[in-house]
Amino acid sequence: MGLDRRAFLGLVAGGTVGAMFTPIPWKLIDDASIWTQNWPWIPRVPKGQVDYVATTSKLCPAGEGLKIMRVAGNPILAGGNASHPLSCGGVSALARSEVYMLYSPARIKSPMKRNGKTFAPITWEQALVEMAEKLGAAKGAVASISGDNTGTINEVLTALTAKLGSAGSFMMPSEATTAAKAMKLMGVQGQAGYDFENADMVLVLGADIFETWGTSSRNRKAFGANRPAGAKPANTYVYVGPTRNNTAAVCDQWVPAAAADLGVVALGIAWHLLKAGATSNAPGFDTFKAVVNGGFGPEDVKRATGIAPETLATIAKALASAKAPLVVTGSPFGQGLGAAPVIAGMSLNMLLGRINKPGGVSMLPELPSVVPGALTRAAMLDGDLPAFLKGVESGKTPAPKALLIYDANPAYGLPEAATMAKALEKIPFKVSFSSFMDETAALCDLVLPNSLPLERYDDVATPYGSGFCVYSLVRPIQKPICDTKTTGDVLLGLARKLSIDLKFDNFQQVIKEKVASLTKVSGGFVAKDVMPWQVAAGKPAPALVGGDLWKALEAGYAWTMVGQAAQPAMGFAAEVLAKAVKAGKPATATVLAPYAQLRTGTPVTGMPCQDLTMVPDTELKGDTTFIRVNSETAKALSLKKGQSVKLSGAGVDCQAKVHIFESVMPGMVAAPLGFGHTAFDYYSQGKGANYLSLAAVAEEPGSGLSMWIAPEVKIA
Amino acid sequence: MEEKRSNSAGGVGGMALFALIGFVGALVVGWGIFPKMLYSQKTQPIRFSHTVHSQLGIECEQCHHLGPDGRFAGLPSTESCAECHGEETGDTSANGKEIDKFVKDYVKTGRQVPWLVYQYQPDNVFFSHAAHKGFECTKCHLDVAKTDTPPPYYENRLSGYSKDTMKMWECERCHASMGTSNACFVCHK
Repeated sequence: MGLDRRAFLGLVAGGTVGAMFTPIPWKLIDDASIWTQNWPWIPRVPKGQVDYVATTSKLCPAGEGLKIMRVAGNPILAGGNASHPLSCGGVSALARSEVYMLYSPARIKSPMKRNGKTFAPITWEQALVEMAEKLGAAKGAVASISGDNTGTINEVLTALTAKLGSAGSFMMPSEATTAAKAMKLMGVQGQAGYDFENADMVLVLGADIFETWGTSSRNRKAFGANRPAGAKPANTYVYVGPTRNNTAAVCDQWVPAAAADLGVVALGIAWHLLKAGATSNAPGFDTFKAVVNGGFGPEDVKRATGIAPETLATIAKALASAKAPLVVTGSPFGQGLGAAPVIAGMSLNMLLGRINKPGGVSMLPELPSVVPGALTRAAMLDGDLPAFLKGVESGKTPAPKALLIYDANPAYGLPEAATMAKALEKIPFKVSFSSFMDETAALCDLVLPNSLPLERYDDVATPYGSGFCVYSLVRPIQKPICDTKTTGDVLLGLARKLSIDLKFDNFQQVIKEKVASLTKVSGGFVAKDVMPWQVAAGKPAPALVGGDLWKALEAGYAWTMVGQAAQPAMGFAAEVLAKAVKAGKPATATVLAPYAQLRTGTPVTGMPCQDLTMVPDTELKGDTTFIRVNSETAKALSLKKGQSVKLSGAGVDCQAKVHIFESVMPGMVAAPLGFGHTAFDYYSQGKGANYLSLAAVAEEPGSGLSMWIAPEVKIA
Repeated sequence: MEEKRSNSAGGVGGMALFALIGFVGALVVGWGIFPKMLYSQKTQPIRFSHTVHSQLGIECEQCHHLGPDGRFAGLPSTESCAECHGEETGDTSANGKEIDKFVKDYVKTGRQVPWLVYQYQPDNVFFSHAAHKGFECTKCHLDVAKTDTPPPYYENRLSGYSKDTMKMWECERCHASMGTSNACFVCHK
């Protein structure tokens, strides 16, 4: 009865069969499969207490209020803030990246000083000493550039530049710079604000209002609020522009027109309105009427734009019969438009009696300034940065001895990028306060990284496009991840070192003073139970309890004010229109129609790495970007789907592949912006081409403003 | 020839006997020993007494509630606990020593208590407590409300998950019985 061979086999067989009736094999297989899913290098979802804190997006120009989800105190996700009037719960792809960007590989991790062709880390103290020495020596010839249209930081920057002896304080060109020039020429003060919420018929001339123009998240919410699913829309939107972009795609009608012809279209509609009896008491009306009747009749417009007379007649009739029509003008790619098309669009609002009316346009006053010696926003917007840099490059304008660059990337984000980079090279001492290693920072002598918006105090005051004055707070919800500082603090520290009195010790004090100043503004209130568009429509504005404003802003509510600045009558600026808008023959050359999208970031942010996955392979495949032409244009230019081509313009060549896309009007080559970075990180660098570099800057007749709205290109 | 036949007959019987021994042995190992080997037993970092707290009239929802987005807020933070237990007591009773340990190790250091959660789901599961709030908590969770010492936590040595983590088939069975969709995207986003 010993354990012989047969007994052993029996034991093994019995044991095996027995094991089949136990959890051993089944549980081991199951657990082993789970074990294979849990490799240590796979990121884990953080566990801990979940809470939400409010702030405002600073990376996104739309200025949405955000709710940041935190787990155990760590920011995890950025979402829209339903209580904020510029968000209403909505958020753009760029604002959503506020959290991810904290960990962007392109972040500059400490102050750095140029060392030959590379940079070497230095301490903040060393950086301040170096900067104080160089700026002290450059007194009288210091310039500054800001890419932040909405922050009180501009007051600190421009006041410091002025005290150092300003050679110019400039804002990066945008829709706001164009509109400010137009409003100035029309003789008014303030920033044009558009009340989409109360409008029932909106004519959009070029502006990509649901993507890159103004308060795009709020614009989308205003559009959707009046068009509930399954119900009859309570408003009508018509888009005029060269491509069926993200705005045109949801509008009721798309009227194809070249970006260069937006002014012609506006004056063509004005012709129909005038014919129907529209009139105005505004200065310059008679000249305006003569200009329109003299060159913008239906056949003139048809010859220039290809738009049938009945199309414009129908639009004019719809505008005239609407209760609250609104005309919005802008660039299809957020920059480069001349002032004249904006004036022409605004003239339609004047003919329709839509100035300072619910659902119309209001000239929003600037919020009080708190830093002594600072430039106003209007004064900053009045500068023409491309013209200044071109002058520096050509030698016509003396190059400043020092340049401070805040939140701006002119070496990438301006037209004729090569010219702009050459101009920057002529400036002997340049300091970048960028958070990311962008193309401009790479050219600078000192790079002093700004903390990201989730790590610093900052603010957003009335982004361009908002229909009401609005102020919201950006506040730190975590300590800086890298060795970065709030630029406001750095500039104030620098001022102290140079014995310049800017009144404040740190930037938080500046923001607190700004908030305190709002309590003195008549008519301001916290948008909580009543939203500003409701006040514009006649609802009484709630009273503002001053002491609670800071707390309310910290909780994610916004300070708002409705109504426009007191001012003289708005004029038609017809003499500018007469010089700048011509219903000539249509262009025979191929015209570039750039388009921008928030998912590909801004020149300052580069491509947010997580957003790269949202870029379709009809836009970027491998490292090549696609241009879009319709089949008619493709046939005329002998282009085939997927064909590699070279685009040439402004002395620059760009590579592309061809995508046949019928949502582009004939003769146009639609090209995506936001690609072709030579700096930043793996996610941005070398991805496609920067088609903005193909655009040449021209001076707009009548206004003198730099414009690059419809660059001609050659395709080979 | 005779001996060979005899061996063959005895061998079959012996083989059957050893097969039976092997069978029974496998059952004993499989049901008795294997589960103990598969799981390591751990105790909570702090001996939290639910009994003491419920006797003080503290409602379950004061510490375990749904967040504004329907997310289960789960465990109270150290800061929440410190609202009552912010200072060491010096009490030498078992409970007093445990409170002092909590204050010393977590409140004073600002750390969160690494509670061992009996039923954390894997990261790829999106589970909404808000969608399940009609059920009794104990339908899925251990009934700890009346415990003075938290039950031991058993961690699977292979998968790393708690023994009490609900398996997918359990979710599916309940969904099926309730007429709720079992489509992948319901739980896996």
